[in-house]
Amino acid sequence: MPTDGPVALRQRVNRREFLRRAGWGGAGMGVLIVGAGRARLSAQPVSPYPDWIPPSSKPPKPGGVLTRASSWDPPVLDPRLTQSIGLFQFAALTSNRLVRYAFADEASGTNDLTLKGDLAESWQSSPDHRVWTFKLRQGVKWHNVPPLNGRELVAADVKHCFEAYAKEGVQSFTFREIEGMETPDEHTLRVHLQSPNVLFPQNLAEPITVIFAREVLEEDGDLKKRLIGTGPYLLKEHTRKVRVVLARNPDYFDKGRPYVDEYTILSTPDAATRLAAFRTGQSDILWLASLGEVETVRKTNPAAVVQEYKNVLAPFGLALAQDKPPFNDVRVRRAISMAVDRQKQVDTLFEGHGIPGWGVPYIYYQDKMPTLAQLGPWWRHRPSEAKKLLAEAGHANGFETTLFYYEYFPQMTSQVQLVQQDLKRNLNINVKITKLDYTTYYGRYVESKWDGMAWGFQSGHAVGLDERTYQYMHSKSTKNFFRVNDPLIDELTTKLRQTPDRGEQRTIARKIVDREYDQVLRMWMPYDNGFLVFQPHVRNMAALALRRTDGYGASAIARLWLDK
Amino acid sequence: MHKYVIRRLLLAIPVLLLSSLIVFGLMRVMPGDALTALMAESGNVGERELRKLREDLGLDRPYHEQYLIWLWQLVSLNPGYSIFTNEPIAAALGKSIPVTIELATLAMLLGLVIAIPVGVLSATRADRPADYVGRVVAVSGLSLPDFWLGTLVITFAALWLHWIPPLGYVSLWESPWRNLQQFLLPAAVLGFRLSAATMRMTRSTVLEVLREDYVRTAWAKGLEGRIVVYKHALKNALIPVVTIVGGQLGTLLAGTVVVETIFALPGMGRLTVEAILFRDYPVVQTNVMLVATTLVTLNLLVDLTYAWLDPRIHYQ
Amino acid sequence: MSTVTARVAPFERQPTATPRRGEALWAVIKRKPLGLASAALLVLLVTTAIFAGVLAPYDPLATQPEIRLAPPSRDHPFGTDDIGRDVLSRVVHGSRISLWVGVLAVGIGTGVGMVIGLLCGYCEGRLDLLVQRLMDAIQAIPGLILALAIVSVLKPSTTNAMLAIAIVIIPGNSRIVRGAVLSAKQNRYVEAAQAIGCRHPRIITTHILPNVTAPILIIASIWFGNAILIEATLSFLGLGTQPPTPSWGLMLSSTGRAFMEQAPWLAIFPGLAISLAVLGFNLFGDTLRDAWDPRLRRQG
Repeated sequence: MPTDGPVALRQRVNRREFLRRAGWGGAGMGVLIVGAGRARLSAQPVSPYPDWIPPSSKPPKPGGVLTRASSWDPPVLDPRLTQSIGLFQFAALTSNRLVRYAFADEASGTNDLTLKGDLAESWQSSPDHRVWTFKLRQGVKWHNVPPLNGRELVAADVKHCFEAYAKEGVQSFTFREIEGMETPDEHTLRVHLQSPNVLFPQNLAEPITVIFAREVLEEDGDLKKRLIGTGPYLLKEHTRKVRVVLARNPDYFDKGRPYVDEYTILSTPDAATRLAAFRTGQSDILWLASLGEVETVRKTNPAAVVQEYKNVLAPFGLALAQDKPPFNDVRVRRAISMAVDRQKQVDTLFEGHGIPGWGVPYIYYQDKMPTLAQLGPWWRHRPSEAKKLLAEAGHANGFETTLFYYEYFPQMTSQVQLVQQDLKRNLNINVKITKLDYTTYYGRYVESKWDGMAWGFQSGHAVGLDERTYQYMHSKSTKNFFRVNDPLIDELTTKLRQTPDRGEQRTIARKIVDREYDQVLRMWMPYDNGFLVFQPHVRNMAALALRRTDGYGASAIARLWLDK
Repeated sequence: MHKYVIRRLLLAIPVLLLSSLIVFGLMRVMPGDALTALMAESGNVGERELRKLREDLGLDRPYHEQYLIWLWQLVSLNPGYSIFTNEPIAAALGKSIPVTIELATLAMLLGLVIAIPVGVLSATRADRPADYVGRVVAVSGLSLPDFWLGTLVITFAALWLHWIPPLGYVSLWESPWRNLQQFLLPAAVLGFRLSAATMRMTRSTVLEVLREDYVRTAWAKGLEGRIVVYKHALKNALIPVVTIVGGQLGTLLAGTVVVETIFALPGMGRLTVEAILFRDYPVVQTNVMLVATTLVTLNLLVDLTYAWLDPRIHYQ
Repeated sequence: MSTVTARVAPFERQPTATPRRGEALWAVIKRKPLGLASAALLVLLVTTAIFAGVLAPYDPLATQPEIRLAPPSRDHPFGTDDIGRDVLSRVVHGSRISLWVGVLAVGIGTGVGMVIGLLCGYCEGRLDLLVQRLMDAIQAIPGLILALAIVSVLKPSTTNAMLAIAIVIIPGNSRIVRGAVLSAKQNRYVEAAQAIGCRHPRIITTHILPNVTAPILIIASIWFGNAILIEATLSFLGLGTQPPTPSWGLMLSSTGRAFMEQAPWLAIFPGLAISLAVLGFNLFGDTLRDAWDPRLRRQG
């Protein structure tokens, strides 16, 4: 069996494509389209910024301090209790997982989803994919602080972690799949699943599935006070709402890495302040939502390196209470979907750099980014068809409904208002908007008892196909916030996790999304692509699909180095 | 007078109890609870886990029990733990109070230092150009929201000065110079608004008092003009000003949240507001009661200052 | 007034009858340039609010995302916002919201506060004790926190923000009025009036009220500006006016800040509008005091 595991999801990049991408980095830019920032129609414009920054060809220089002004604070340190990006922006560096995805300096491109071993050197499954055996690396040491004091990691540690995750907390759904585990020797873990799941290793590669220390849990009673792992950095300081300081782990198993001595995360809740921090050199990494903002920064910091981040999915969409009227009628859903002008949102709000919106990462079923036309007839803007269909469904005069949301970013409010206008103008549906604070919004949304509409989300961290299909769309899943209840979807998503062949997986995934588009089971909305901006001395920091290196993909910072 | 003071102190107890009831009630009536906030971006938490977590946090007990437990914790000076972070609230307060006090003090100082002289100047040169200019500047200070001013300041500091306060709060004892750099701009933003209100009030009350009979009497007695103004007029003019300043302290103690957010300072304002948004009941309740106690004490002091300033007022 | 009062205290204040107040006000407005300016601003504000539908060139809610973030031009004198709505029309309609917020929040807060303060200050005794303790309890809770909590409990909206602000204003106002009443009560003509058997309401309205009006009006004028600003801060924290309502505070705190460098007109015009409205009310408050404060009137 190949060491990368039987399910190697490799982006098929041919040589020409690879060279083309490599040529984007550095000073030799491609075609520059000036005057960006205003309306753009029809053809997808070429951004002046590359979507991939290949790793530096120079030998990495160890040392230096990396700083980042971050908008996220960790709610708790306990990985069992939260999936918040505030924790995993640094927990991904203090800890390892069993398996991980490729880092920027080993990936062939942004969409490279090759699984690599993290704590596990290799893994294989039984023919029926119900029993998975992981061979752990030897000589991996826990951090050299009490109570672990640098002892070696053994399979029993991992087993304990998984049992703890299954017992309580936010990951229990994933880990309850496990029927039982054995550790035939110190470096082998054998996992028995309740039902076959070909995609199980992907679930273990999720950024939140970090391996924590049993002794800490036993001594403290919880994991809220200390964060100790096997990772490339030790948690040197955590002052709530001020800063997190990570110090290089000299005993890390990946010899020679990490390169940077210290990584400081500064709690900076305000966007204008984060921007000012980047401008004055207090922050090395910045994420911006629009090309207009990027150009503003480049005026004062012309040497800044910009990566255009292309989303492979849209995390937000219009969620409807589709278990009850009027939204349980597929004609109503289709009509609403056709009434919304997605292309206009992309062209105007996102200045041409957004995607029209779909749910499952396209790289799992096709090579090229889907166009709006490919999403099917119910996703194109056809107001007169929409009106006819809605009338057929018995709502010729429209109706009243409500929509609640939380403003994750300013463009979202713009989007919500545009949708409100589209529905009013084209279908005479009056939407009353309520902007809520995070707790109220979140609580109401996940309770799944609300009526009307919500601006809904799917998880931010999930990379794996199983997570993105079965866990979010199966009618029995607790993460099914869009309230999808379709027997064909149930059947297909279950079949998917029993299909080992890559080609067949793509076919089934394709069928799943086709069904989703046809029945408008989740009404995805346009999403921006965003831009990652770095100080010129930062190397190997390019963001990868579904793994933003400043957030959930922070484990990649182990490969980052500073050229100064 | 002493009887009055003791009586007021005793009366402070029901006041604080009332406040605590109001806060407790408001927090409980808010939709959503701390658990929801804790379960950020998850959703696969089964009923069983939720119930266990709720038990652990004490959220399943009847309201009056929760209230009494918390009250007891407060009175015994052991405020318990944050639902969200499990940190002892006393520790969190101990870290955030100095920040807000420093910010508020610097802001008030800056505000008063500007406001009172300018207010007196404006009153003594009433209806002349200096007065007009002073009043218009003061109103502009009152009409710019501090989030707007703060954003402007931090953006243009970066653009024009290529400098912003060093992020990552350090306390005054750890590193005084760095700390002062961090507080200068936010205190100025806050102080600007405070000075505007104080200046206007100083001006109008000085104007009123300048026409009081005892001032005219003092003038008729032949004292030099300036002494008349400052000694007699200011003392009486300060009564409403003292009220305003006292009131501003209240606004300051929680109104710093915006400035703390923009300038990334871990003060009480941010702590309390974020605790409200995340429904962290014990933190909100404790913080508010702390501020409430401080304010009630301040109010008493203000009332006593009334009596000192205006000899015509006396309390039985 | 009675000759007794006049003989007892020749230099004490002489309260005037109400009908002359209007004339007095007009006289002051005519005389003082700032008074005239502030009156004009207020007239402008109220007129804009009333005739917003006619004055605004476009529908403030009509989105035209193709022309988003357009700088001021002949078609759109104030430019367009992030989804292509005309900023001028939104600012014009925003005057209604701001007027609504200010007048109601301050009106209720000041009115109720004044009544409470008058009663407490004049009657003293047990009523004063109880009510002032309740006022203290409310005032002990920091204003923004209280407003935030109230709006969190009710649904976030302009009306609820207003109610929250009104509740925040009441205790402070009642304290100030009460303090002024206590001060005024010490004057001998009040004792005299009581001695000759004037009935309480008459004493309150003719002797006490005029001395209380000035501080109250000044406070009210300051609070008008504060009310708009608190609403803007609540919007900044996410709990104020709901989109797509064109409130100045929401415009300033959301799109104004987000596009500050790219499209400064999104903040300049609502910001100017807020400033002018607050300026107008504050200066008008000064003018009212100049006109109606009997002590100042006597000076001519």
